[in-house]
Amino acid sequence: MGTDAAFLAPVIPAVTFALILLTGRRVPAIAPCLSIAAIIASFAVWIYVFVAFLDDGAGTRSVEWFTVGGFEFTWGTTVDEISIVMLGIVSFVAIGIQIYSLEYLRGDPRLWWYFAVQSLFAAAMMTLVLADNLLLLYLGWELVGLGSYLLIGFWWERRSAAEAAKKAFVTTRIGDVALLIGFVLLFRETGTFDISTIITLAHGGVVDDTQLTWALLFIFGGAAGKSAQIPLHVWLPDAMEGPTPVSALIHAATMVVAGVYLVVRLFPIYRMVPEALDLIAVIGLLTALVAGVIALTMTDLKRILAYSTISHLGFMMLAVGAGAPGVAMFHLLAHAFAKASLFLGAGSISHGSGQTDIREMGGLWRKMPFTAVTFWIGALSLAGLPLLSGFFSKDEILLAVHTGRLNGGFLIVTFVAVAFSVLYTGRMLYRVFLGPLLPTNEAAHEPGSRMWAPIGIFALLAAGLGGAAFEWSHDYKGFVSWVTNSEEGFHLSTSITGASVVIVVIGLYLTWLVYVQRRVSSVGTRRRFGPLATIAERKFFFDEVYQWVINEIVLKIAALTAFIDRAWVNDIGIDGPGKTTRWGGSVLKYLQTGMVYNYALGMVIGAVVLGVVWWTI
Amino acid sequence: MLELVHFQVLSAALFSIGIFGVLARRSAVLVLISIEIMLNAVNVNLVGIAAFSDRAADVRVFGQILVVFIITIAAAEIGLALAIVLRVFRNRGSANVDDLNVMKW
Repeated sequence: MGTDAAFLAPVIPAVTFALILLTGRRVPAIAPCLSIAAIIASFAVWIYVFVAFLDDGAGTRSVEWFTVGGFEFTWGTTVDEISIVMLGIVSFVAIGIQIYSLEYLRGDPRLWWYFAVQSLFAAAMMTLVLADNLLLLYLGWELVGLGSYLLIGFWWERRSAAEAAKKAFVTTRIGDVALLIGFVLLFRETGTFDISTIITLAHGGVVDDTQLTWALLFIFGGAAGKSAQIPLHVWLPDAMEGPTPVSALIHAATMVVAGVYLVVRLFPIYRMVPEALDLIAVIGLLTALVAGVIALTMTDLKRILAYSTISHLGFMMLAVGAGAPGVAMFHLLAHAFAKASLFLGAGSISHGSGQTDIREMGGLWRKMPFTAVTFWIGALSLAGLPLLSGFFSKDEILLAVHTGRLNGGFLIVTFVAVAFSVLYTGRMLYRVFLGPLLPTNEAAHEPGSRMWAPIGIFALLAAGLGGAAFEWSHDYKGFVSWVTNSEEGFHLSTSITGASVVIVVIGLYLTWLVYVQRRVSSVGTRRRFGPLATIAERKFFFDEVYQWVINEIVLKIAALTAFIDRAWVNDIGIDGPGKTTRWGGSVLKYLQTGMVYNYALGMVIGAVVLGVVWWTI
Repeated sequence: MLELVHFQVLSAALFSIGIFGVLARRSAVLVLISIEIMLNAVNVNLVGIAAFSDRAADVRVFGQILVVFIITIAAAEIGLALAIVLRVFRNRGSANVDDLNVMKW
């Protein structure tokens, strides 16, 4: 069977979802067992498929789904480097998340529903990454959006959670419209949804250039929505209303990277359209920078992590735009484990001490040393501390920007974005863990094993995966070249690496001065940057602008349409004939006088008329 | 000499008198009498046509046959109509057609 067995990975959780729906309400205790068993089974499938892949190479398998007008739609899986990596990340992180959730959500009355949607999400995400045709990918894409909506709004009794779920779904929906348009354009040009066929046809010059450009731009619009790029990033911070393991799984490691995955998967055609790559690079860099700046001003721990995620997604897109999709995948890998461990750590903190505001946190290393260590590992990895995995992936990004297809200005701005990522990391780490223990943190304690074990494993991976970057053998020239099937080996540029290390050191030192030694006042610094700081704190006013557009434009148009529908279509068009008939009847009823001789007169007049007509004709 | 036209004029006159009676009389019985007059006007017309027709004798007689039918039916109908008028009179105390206007809007 080999790589053909890959289809089992999404099917098992899908079946589990159905099973949990049937049994969960009656026997709630079964749900977590089923879900965790299913995801472990999926991971086992991944191991099997991975081994088969190493032996046999890439493979595709597709089964007919339905046929419309001579066109056949298929369920299909593609197993190659990219999908193998994604499948591994999804299944492994999901295991950790679900085990963590056992403890984090213990006692929740709707626990069975949580695990049902977790299974649904896992199935959908795996369908997405394994899909060999765009239609199936879109199906998975929409379903993970649904799973995200259901899980963000898991505690829907809280108004803010329900609103956040709605915001997430609607914002990604806007992207999804663009995505569908892009897919349909490609279909129109190539006559198929099958990805490898489209790539082959595009390389063969069959596809018209402008159509291809528009299609790829629209597709990136969809990817930007799902991967929280500017300007469609506004849903991700609000998505923190969901339970923390959800944030770790969906909004750090898996769903949000679906956009990056899509662009990487379609990179062979993106490479043919430089304008599209330019756009991706610009948006990615802008996102990385703006989100990094905002993260520096946030006071809620999960919000900082959310903006950090947005920023790192920006870095991944930047890598793609620079022409290095393998680098983007590497950063995706490093970021997934690091961010997951960070979010889970934040969950431990809030689970124990009830705090989420970093202004209420301090000196937590005393109470939660294990959490502190794993948190620092994850955070410093993403900040780019040498030898942790994030250092290598960030380095590769900088190298790609420097030597790739982008011009020099990009590199400078990238360094600025990197600097900000160090700054907000330092601020977060020092504020939360160092310093004196605040009285509000008295209740903080290390969580049970079901919670700290996944964190520990993810943190280990965040630390150690850097090793995957190197050339270990003749066949394996480093992760980046392995994932893109290229011959280029792994190399470092001393100037770039040196510069990034310097930035890390300076950034950590500066934040040390401000937040630990209190030599430089944070309030004073904020005052010095006055208006800029306000803009950053207000998150660059994206939400305000969007709300204005909704209120003034969308709702007004909706009100106008509602008026036309009510006053014209309904009152005049539909009620009109009815009312007219009624009115006619109310007038004509007076003919029924009840008096016989009126009727007789009518008869006589009728007879006379008939006679005249008959006589003249 | 008698001509067809005399019969037809008589018939038309009787018919008009009958219509006038139906429309202008207050008493139900008088309305019935007027209807009777209308029927008889038709009879006169038919007899006249039967008498002065140019066709063969066994065809000409159809007019008179129809007259017999009409007289019979008129008799039956008048009996029924008078029974109804009698009922109405017993119920309401008057046979005034103007008062019979319940089935109206």
